[in-house]
Amino acid sequence: MNDFIDPPFEATDAAINKKNEFQLIWLLPLCALLVSAWLVYKTVSEKGPVITITFPSADGLEIDKTKIKYLDVEIGKVTDISINKDLKSVEVTAEMDKQSGEYLTNKTQLWVVRPQIGLGGVSGLGTLMSGAYIAIKPEKGDQERHFTGLSVPPVLEANVQGKKFILETTNIGSMAPGTPISFHGITVGEILDYELAQNADNIKLTVFVNAPYDKFIRTNTRFWIDSGIDLSTSADGVKLRTGPLISLLAGGIAFRTSSEDKITDSVPEYTSFQLFEDYDQSTQVIYQRTVKVVMYFDESVRGLNVDAPVLLRGIPVGKVTNINLEIDGKTGEIHIPVVVEVEPDRIIVVNKQADLTIQDNIAHLIANGLRAQLQTGSLVTGQLFIALDLFPQSKIVTHRNKTGYAEFPTMPGSLNKIIHSTQAFMDKISKLPLEAMSTEINNTLVALQSSSKAATKTLDATSGTMANVDKTMNSAQKVLSTLEPGSTTQYELNQLLKELTETASSVKQLADYLEEHPDSLIRGKKEK
Amino acid sequence: MKANITALKQGLMRCHDCGWLVKIADKLSHCPRCDSQLHARLPYSLQRTSAFLISGMLLYIPANVFPIMTVNQFGVGEPHTIAGGIIELIDSKMVPIALLVLVASILVPLFKLIGLSLLLLSVHFRWQINARLWTVMYRIIAFVGRWSMLDIFMISILVDLVNLGGVAQIIAGPAAIAFAAVVILTMFAAKNFDPRLLWDNQENQ
Repeated sequence: MNDFIDPPFEATDAAINKKNEFQLIWLLPLCALLVSAWLVYKTVSEKGPVITITFPSADGLEIDKTKIKYLDVEIGKVTDISINKDLKSVEVTAEMDKQSGEYLTNKTQLWVVRPQIGLGGVSGLGTLMSGAYIAIKPEKGDQERHFTGLSVPPVLEANVQGKKFILETTNIGSMAPGTPISFHGITVGEILDYELAQNADNIKLTVFVNAPYDKFIRTNTRFWIDSGIDLSTSADGVKLRTGPLISLLAGGIAFRTSSEDKITDSVPEYTSFQLFEDYDQSTQVIYQRTVKVVMYFDESVRGLNVDAPVLLRGIPVGKVTNINLEIDGKTGEIHIPVVVEVEPDRIIVVNKQADLTIQDNIAHLIANGLRAQLQTGSLVTGQLFIALDLFPQSKIVTHRNKTGYAEFPTMPGSLNKIIHSTQAFMDKISKLPLEAMSTEINNTLVALQSSSKAATKTLDATSGTMANVDKTMNSAQKVLSTLEPGSTTQYELNQLLKELTETASSVKQLADYLEEHPDSLIRGKKEK
Repeated sequence: MKANITALKQGLMRCHDCGWLVKIADKLSHCPRCDSQLHARLPYSLQRTSAFLISGMLLYIPANVFPIMTVNQFGVGEPHTIAGGIIELIDSKMVPIALLVLVASILVPLFKLIGLSLLLLSVHFRWQINARLWTVMYRIIAFVGRWSMLDIFMISILVDLVNLGGVAQIIAGPAAIAFAAVVILTMFAAKNFDPRLLWDNQENQ
């Protein structure tokens, strides 16, 4: 078979164009390569550091879905969640954006944002739909790639202008991080955190006051617990103070400035303040300077409480801060050291000696005979207070003082004195020869008994006499009735006779009583 | 006239525009009647197909690696890759739709890329093959190509429809463009492949 057969028709020759075509098409794969390479490069170059965060639980966290956000801008994504080897926490691995590297320092805080509904407000509502996310609060510091997540979100999420202060209180009550702080009713800050002091005798609250208001925190600024409602009755009537509505529900802290302070008196950050229980307490004068002394009482301190007042001639100068019990292991003596806080600023010193300190003054007063005494404040409740007064003749009794405070000499209290004299009286009574007395009394009684028998006989005779008298009287009445009726004589005689009859019946009663109780002649009539 | 005689073997070619029959002279020849370019087979068919195919292959990688769309619900969204979307659909118990997406978005482009590569290789290395079957494959590739745009159509409709501001929003990702490019490039590749080349290599037709 011949491949080439003559065509059955005339085909014309093609026109020839010598131009060589460059295959531009090959630019296309090049472009595709560039585009792909660029995309890959972009992804790789945007890949930031990988961090791990330890959380107590992975509640709401999902691999590849949970974001890490700062100020609601996404800066990372959770790529893995695993349980730690200790089986108590989870480790979340997250891929961060490239720019986020500098935020990741050892001071950076991370926490999970979930919807929160509280009295203070609603937050994280967006997470209801979108699921939880991890929020970050960057802070300058050293580079760090492993973090421990906070279980509770920090109250201040962003870096707000303001100052932090410390409030000291003994009871946190209903306050919690987030509790508002108001100034003349304006919410100006909140509680950030609370911490129990090392010796657990008070609680330190860290509070944050926003920027324009932090300058009102001055030397004499007073903080108090604003419980919402403050109801008090006095001679003026019923007084009602209310705080903001939120503090009605959740409690709050309020503060006010003192007229003594000037603008320049604003205090630096982390200054400590006392937190008063209520508004009234905060208005009381507070003496910053205190001197602690110890007083040893050898008597019972029942009724003496911590915070019991210390009065100098009736004027409060301090309070009891501590009451202890000591037993001397060697001698077996019991001592009660009472620590007392004296506020020397309450006492105005006239004729002031510049070179004398408070301690010198106290020593001087003690030398003059100033002594402490326990006195009864209320006989009903038995509350005791410590009274200071001058007893120039009294001796100073010292004890083995291990409290570290200066010892203040004491005297037995007035109650103690009464007890002592009563004791002496009772002792005297107990020394009386009671047995001998009682036998003698017995003998006397026997004699009395025989006398009373004789008396009864006499009385019996008297009774016979009385009957005779009665007869005589009756006959006399007959005589009298003959007298003219209505005459004064008759009336008087009638009266006389009536009285005589009463006398006779009394005598009869007496006789009867004596018959039953002959001893009443000696002892008198017994009450029924 | 024998049935297995081709125009090429007769030293003839036909003008594509006006149908004039011309003797083969050179690759760069023009129709003497209408002056359009003449070629017995599609010019540079192998080169052009390969170029389109390689471009498509290169873009197929980002199309699958990068997120194809981001569904924002209440301001929070997460980007989906094609494979991730399929897994999500299976998780949501929508297996038929997942299968559809799998076929249209992953298997079809892959089939096209592999199929065209095989066609090109068979022509280049003059493999002795069942040309009839391979032509069927070519026809399927050429036909099915446009249907891979399903995903792109869906995304472009969704982006416009689901635009409720903060409540819900769909944003097309970089992979959508890459994927569209893959589909278009493979369509061009198929268009530029001359199936007659398959037959030219066969010795016993």
